[in-house]
Amino acid sequence: MPSYKLYYFNGRGRAEVARLIFAAAGEKYEDVRYERDQWPAHKAEMPLGQMPVLEVDGVKLPQSLSIARFLAKQFHLAGKDNFEQAQVDAVVDTIYDCLTKYVPIRFETDEAKKEELTKKFLAEELPKHLQNFETLGKLYGKGGHFFVGKQLTWADLLFFDVGAIILQVDSNAFNNHAWLKQNRAEVEKQPKIAEYLKNRPQTQF
Amino acid sequence: MATYKLYYFNARGRAEVLRLLFAAAGQRFEDSRFEQNTWPSFKSQMPLSQVPVLEVNGTTLVQSQTIARFLARQFLLGGRDGFELAKVEAVVDTINDFVSILSPIRREQDEKKKKEQLQKFLNDDLPKHLQNLEILARLYGNGGQYFIGNNLTLADLTFYDAGETLLQLDPNCLNNHPWLKQNRLLVASQPRIAEYLRNRPKTAF
Repeated sequence: MPSYKLYYFNGRGRAEVARLIFAAAGEKYEDVRYERDQWPAHKAEMPLGQMPVLEVDGVKLPQSLSIARFLAKQFHLAGKDNFEQAQVDAVVDTIYDCLTKYVPIRFETDEAKKEELTKKFLAEELPKHLQNFETLGKLYGKGGHFFVGKQLTWADLLFFDVGAIILQVDSNAFNNHAWLKQNRAEVEKQPKIAEYLKNRPQTQF
Repeated sequence: MATYKLYYFNARGRAEVLRLLFAAAGQRFEDSRFEQNTWPSFKSQMPLSQVPVLEVNGTTLVQSQTIARFLARQFLLGGRDGFELAKVEAVVDTINDFVSILSPIRREQDEKKKKEQLQKFLNDDLPKHLQNLEILARLYGNGGQYFIGNNLTLADLTFYDAGETLLQLDPNCLNNHPWLKQNRLLVASQPRIAEYLRNRPKTAF
């Protein structure tokens, strides 16, 4: 039994998908959270001076998606075989493409500019990304509610997490996307995930 | 025996690491290349209207990084176990961190602006990314010339490819990074890869 230690800020951010994977699998780990003022003292302990980092039996692994993919494979939430894993990864990469477009807007400090960029993102970018998610759900989902192969995988968990961010920006974002809505509902009602969502710290980001 | 068909432009771009994987493994594949003028007629056939796309026994896989990871696992170029695979992916993610900064700069139309941004990238961004890669190599490389565990993996092929782009922009950018230079030389001297590099089409990007 390996021992797992996850290091991140006290927030969801780039670590939440890993926490959702631990929760869905019912696996224990040490959930280390640094407040902003504690971080500078620990920065040099992380290989690339960044978080999240996963420590597995004392060896540190950086990069949020690599961490999530590793845990998903450990806990059989990554797809049944190599090709299904690739389908899961394809969905993950496509979700990440959308997140990458949104992140710089989220961190824009000029409020007026941020509002403009957000409007533009919602009108011009987001629709095609949501369309792409549905395309892949249809291509790999075998007619079910999950993105790949009729089973919960970390692609669904990532979409659940990123979906929450999208809904914070526009609560109506999924109104014309019934399949995406249903997918998130399926994730939310998994008993271990429902329990985790009930009990997790409520944080700003 | 799986059949593989790769679709991309007649260029290295986001497909070259995939071609390097096929070459390293000595695996046959159909290398389908569009010219810019024939692309529009193929675009609608691709699930997300993007390339590269890999057709495996008739099923379509999207997303260049996903395809790379899938092929690496298929061809045993992904490390020897789950945790080594995670280290390979962490290195790949770290390479892609700077590739994704570079991509929009290379696409910049305004020549003066492009030159400025490129200088800034080479002087301010790139050094710390190269340093990060050396940190990970020390952490995971067991003291050898490969990024992970004394064996050629996707991590080395990804750096070889990204390095080619960097050296095109600044032939001196690896001068202070002997380990990275040596790593690329080692990749290029693998017999199957040397053969592939000798014979591949010469393209602008």
